[in-house]
Amino acid sequence: MNLTVTIGSLTMKNPVGAASGTFGYGSEYEKLIDVHELGALYTKAVTPEPRGGNPVPRLAETPSGMLNSIGLANPGLSYFISNKLPELQRMGCSVIVNVAGKTQEDYCKVVETLETQTGIHGYEINISCPNVSHGGLAFGTDPGIVEKLTAQLRSIIEQGAAMRKDSCRPLIIKLSPNVTDITEIARAAEAGGAHAVSAINTLVGMVIDVKKRKPVLAMKTGGLSGPAIRPVGVAAVYKIRRAISIPVIGLGGITCTDDALQYLLAGADAIQIGTVLFSNPNAAHEIIQGIWQYMETYKINSVADIKNLLE
Amino acid sequence: MNIQIANIIENRSVSDQYFELVFDYSNFDSEPQPGMFFTVKIDGAFGPVLRRPFAFSGWNPKQGTASALIEKRGNGTHWLAGLASGDTLDILGPLGKAFSFPQRGVRPLLVAGGIGLGPMLFFANVLLARSNQGLCEAPLLIAGFRTQSLIPKLDFPAGTLFCTDDGSTGFKGTVLDCILSLSDALPKVIYACGPSPMLAALARYASSLALPYEASVEQWMACGIGACMGCAVPMTDGTYQRACADGPVFNGLTVDWEKLV
Repeated sequence: MNLTVTIGSLTMKNPVGAASGTFGYGSEYEKLIDVHELGALYTKAVTPEPRGGNPVPRLAETPSGMLNSIGLANPGLSYFISNKLPELQRMGCSVIVNVAGKTQEDYCKVVETLETQTGIHGYEINISCPNVSHGGLAFGTDPGIVEKLTAQLRSIIEQGAAMRKDSCRPLIIKLSPNVTDITEIARAAEAGGAHAVSAINTLVGMVIDVKKRKPVLAMKTGGLSGPAIRPVGVAAVYKIRRAISIPVIGLGGITCTDDALQYLLAGADAIQIGTVLFSNPNAAHEIIQGIWQYMETYKINSVADIKNLLE
Repeated sequence: MNIQIANIIENRSVSDQYFELVFDYSNFDSEPQPGMFFTVKIDGAFGPVLRRPFAFSGWNPKQGTASALIEKRGNGTHWLAGLASGDTLDILGPLGKAFSFPQRGVRPLLVAGGIGLGPMLFFANVLLARSNQGLCEAPLLIAGFRTQSLIPKLDFPAGTLFCTDDGSTGFKGTVLDCILSLSDALPKVIYACGPSPMLAALARYASSLALPYEASVEQWMACGIGACMGCAVPMTDGTYQRACADGPVFNGLTVDWEKLV
């Protein structure tokens, strides 16, 4: 049986990845689990400059989910390259660097700089960030901006590959569900030259403390994740699969094998797990085993076939 | 630090809202120290998605058990309170940084507010054992509660001072009022765990007397191991530290209490 997943020039050993923001840069989880078992590790977002993150509280628990407003806290591009990248290179799994920024130039600077580094297997672009040049509206809400940004990043990694005399690293656009029609944004990413899209990022949510009469989070709203958003994610992947032909990476509320299979059946080529890692760090291992057993039981030769099996 | 499915040895109510959880600690890979914590996976189909962090309130290496003092607060802790001896728990620990030991010849003042008693009682017992070996001075423990019925039925070190907001027992007033009322020598080093307003008031007091002050803070946590940056604690230099990995015990004079409270 074949569990490998192909995204552009990259082959991941299995379809299960750890989602950006939930897994740090891997080293924190090394003491608890075998990180090398992962199909891919999507790093915490990297921005050009260090970011301390948002005021506190940053977390609130919700029914079958949680809200976060971490604020892309990260040590910045230079520190990432000198301190985190060497650690990531020994993890033994595909390393996808998640990239965030406030302007188009921010994204380009991060990818351009990382193109000179080794040990990176791809980029996931977080387009849910507010676009400072366009009044703070998220990049990911405007198809025109998404296509332009994707095309520019694709051109940078093409040049980088030529310079390294190596194949082009896959460019994955991470889609926000906080839009009217997510397939429109997925088409824009494909048109701009993305190798894949990942969906969904968190949904905007708010919790109010009625005694204090104010929102629980210091930033008032945050991103909702966890099982509460799973049906939204599965439906998004189902629609995106039918709108574009590049690979789709599904995420949002996956806690176990059945959840992962829902995404694969809906049309995902690979999946990511995030919030579940907070309660069950061993979830990736369990899901990889579970997918294997499912394929054995139903005589499915390749994990890539699952997306064609939905009745 | 590792994850174990641990047997509950004892789970008993010790006051109106507090219970003491004792569990098998024999399979964990390192010793818990006062100030450190562990997280528990909360079960149930539509249950909470986050593990719950609790400070150790004791460790008994001979019996291979560890304990925590827990307040019934929300759905997670109510679920935990309903478990009994023989049930198992998915526990990750030990986590975080511990209190540092006081210098020899300096009497440590330990201050607990409400459920913050757990780690302070653990620390008091460890310091008592050390003082019996001549390694430090015996600690003074001051424990504050809203009212008498919250004070847990546990063994306290001799000389522990109790305060209640309503005066139902012990000193009537806050732990800080109690410290200010002490007629004998002022403390030289303060360790504390409790509600943030109490920790902030102690920070102002310690700062005014230039006393060393270590505070164990409480913050919502997601991963508990330093990866997610959710449990950030604002510091006076404008940076954030992680309660789970950089704390939960911090130099209380460097925490920006106004932003945390």
